[in-house]
Amino acid sequence: MITAPLPAAPAELSAVECTSRCPLLLLVGSGLIWLLLSGVLGLIAAVQLHSPTVLAGCRYLNYGHMQAMAETAFIYGWIGNLGLAITLWVLRQLSAEPLRAVGWTLVGASFWNLGVLLGLIGIAAGEATGIPLLQMPGAVQPLLLVAYGAIGVAGVLAWADRRREMMFASHWYAVAALFLFPWLFSAAQVMLVWAPVRGTLQAVVGGWFAQGLWTLWIAPLALAGAYYVAPRASGKLMPAYDSSALGFWALLFLGGWTGGRHLIGGPVPAWISTIAIVTTVMLLFHYIVVFLNLRVAYGAGGTALKFIGFGLAAYVAGGFIDALTSVRAVAEVTQFTFFDAAQHQLAVYGGASMLLIGALYFALPRITGKPWASAGLIRGHWALTVIGLVLLVIALAGAGWVQGTDLNNAAVSFAEIADHTRPWLLAATAAQAILLLASFLLTVNFIRSAMPECPWGREAS
Amino acid sequence: MKNGPLLFLGLFAALGLAWAGIVLGANAQLSGLVPYYDTGDSQAYPLGMPGQAAHGQLVYRGLECAACHSQAVRRPGFGADQARGWGERQSVARDYIYQPAVQLGEFRIGPDLANLGGRKPSAPDASDLYELLYTGRGAMPAYTFLFEDRKVLGQASALALSLTGHFRPAAGHEIVPTRDAQALVAYLLSLNSEYVYPEARPAPPPAAEKTGEAKK
Repeated sequence: MITAPLPAAPAELSAVECTSRCPLLLLVGSGLIWLLLSGVLGLIAAVQLHSPTVLAGCRYLNYGHMQAMAETAFIYGWIGNLGLAITLWVLRQLSAEPLRAVGWTLVGASFWNLGVLLGLIGIAAGEATGIPLLQMPGAVQPLLLVAYGAIGVAGVLAWADRRREMMFASHWYAVAALFLFPWLFSAAQVMLVWAPVRGTLQAVVGGWFAQGLWTLWIAPLALAGAYYVAPRASGKLMPAYDSSALGFWALLFLGGWTGGRHLIGGPVPAWISTIAIVTTVMLLFHYIVVFLNLRVAYGAGGTALKFIGFGLAAYVAGGFIDALTSVRAVAEVTQFTFFDAAQHQLAVYGGASMLLIGALYFALPRITGKPWASAGLIRGHWALTVIGLVLLVIALAGAGWVQGTDLNNAAVSFAEIADHTRPWLLAATAAQAILLLASFLLTVNFIRSAMPECPWGREAS
Repeated sequence: MKNGPLLFLGLFAALGLAWAGIVLGANAQLSGLVPYYDTGDSQAYPLGMPGQAAHGQLVYRGLECAACHSQAVRRPGFGADQARGWGERQSVARDYIYQPAVQLGEFRIGPDLANLGGRKPSAPDASDLYELLYTGRGAMPAYTFLFEDRKVLGQASALALSLTGHFRPAAGHEIVPTRDAQALVAYLLSLNSEYVYPEARPAPPPAAEKTGEAKK
């Protein structure tokens, strides 16, 4: 029988050794740069939605480019870097040995960030692939794949180093995220970029990749951290831990099938969206199990648990809204509208990113060996993030619902739709500005907490 | 769970099964699609994509037009695509078999374009699209960088835009589309799904079906 991991072993309260510290701080620090950049790009894109003339005369900075760059910087820059940092840290803690092959991690992280930067430049220059969540030009994608492999070596070695043969839920999710991304990413590259499949099969593969990236990489990265931190920060055993394995395998085995839910009514075989609807609803089992396990985050207090609690609520709500909007009658209204954007922000920003930030608040003092520099900045970050996220999701959902009902009424012109959605889009712009400010506070606090003592580069050899 | 290799195999199986089911399954069904030869028209549909239009699709992709425009007409009765004049029938997989980079899109901040060149009663022509791209309209920004404002030397260009109001170029100047703009417009006009394939015919409404059965 599986038993829950024990809360807070004494060894974890001391800082990790310097060899492990540097790659982790490099990953988190570069992730924060991408978070800020993605915030700026997302804010400009939000402005362009209600004021289309902004930067429209520039070939490189139109709305489509801004949107694609903001999404890429957020997923590959922020979630990728921070998620890998948290995952490596979790695997290191569970093995209780120093990370090995950190030189590879440092080199890999540098090239990963270079790849994301080149990818953003490529998108601005008009070389994007046009595939959701895989916008970076084909030329930089192999670089990202190799860099990811270099970063992942340390994680795989730490997994192999584990002291006890038993693996915990955080182990499963961490290992799943480490191994599944390269498979998924390379398969999508081959089928969409190097030897593109024919016709609308491209859309099927694109949907399979985009949904797989969420269920097989982003969600496991976030849950690895949350499953490790929640019981330790609260000092409680995880309830219903026995079912966590079922929740894990449900996510993995069902997640890959949910890709067709954006293709409802589209020019692809109807069974693809039917399977997606069925599996999206079945996936609710996973969300319920995760909620039952991680509900120890509520009522225990502490910064890390506040963020994890919010992230958990958003993650589960995102799953339920995903199931709801995959029903054909609802999709008739919400398909092709900002409502989908609201669901995406709720799940990825509200869910995955908040779970990872919660894990970061717990992990950083244990990486650097000293507490966060400023409690005021933490409070400011928390308040602004919550306000910004709630406002953003409500504004986009409202805009999407108005837009969807208007689109289905042929008497309403596009100019009128723009008028009707304008107040909601203005609110979404304000939310993006608040979130950018929140990210700025987190970055300042991180720099003050981590920078002075890190001997950058000394460990690279 | 204790067994590392078993976990590894499980991960591989999870990804591989979904890939086999969705991608291979769809491939088995779609890869055999061939153009439909209409004996009445002595013509195969869809029409091939001219080279300039294929270049235009890459311009469309590079500018991320799909961030605002979808290219998939939904079936009559599912949304208002038909009533908006976007197409009389739903888009089917066969419409896209010649397209090098299919752009279905996930947002409709602007209208659907799957059948732009075949809209009833009147499809836009090249000069309409040039003017729209140059001046913008409503939520659609003006893409002036797709045009060149140049001095008229000798005879004026046949492609020069005839603009009025404050868009009118300075005296002795003309606004002409760049090669990218010409390709983009050629692509947009090539988007035409007027021809009704057997699989795209709307299902007969239930009442008609019943009378059909009664006759039998």
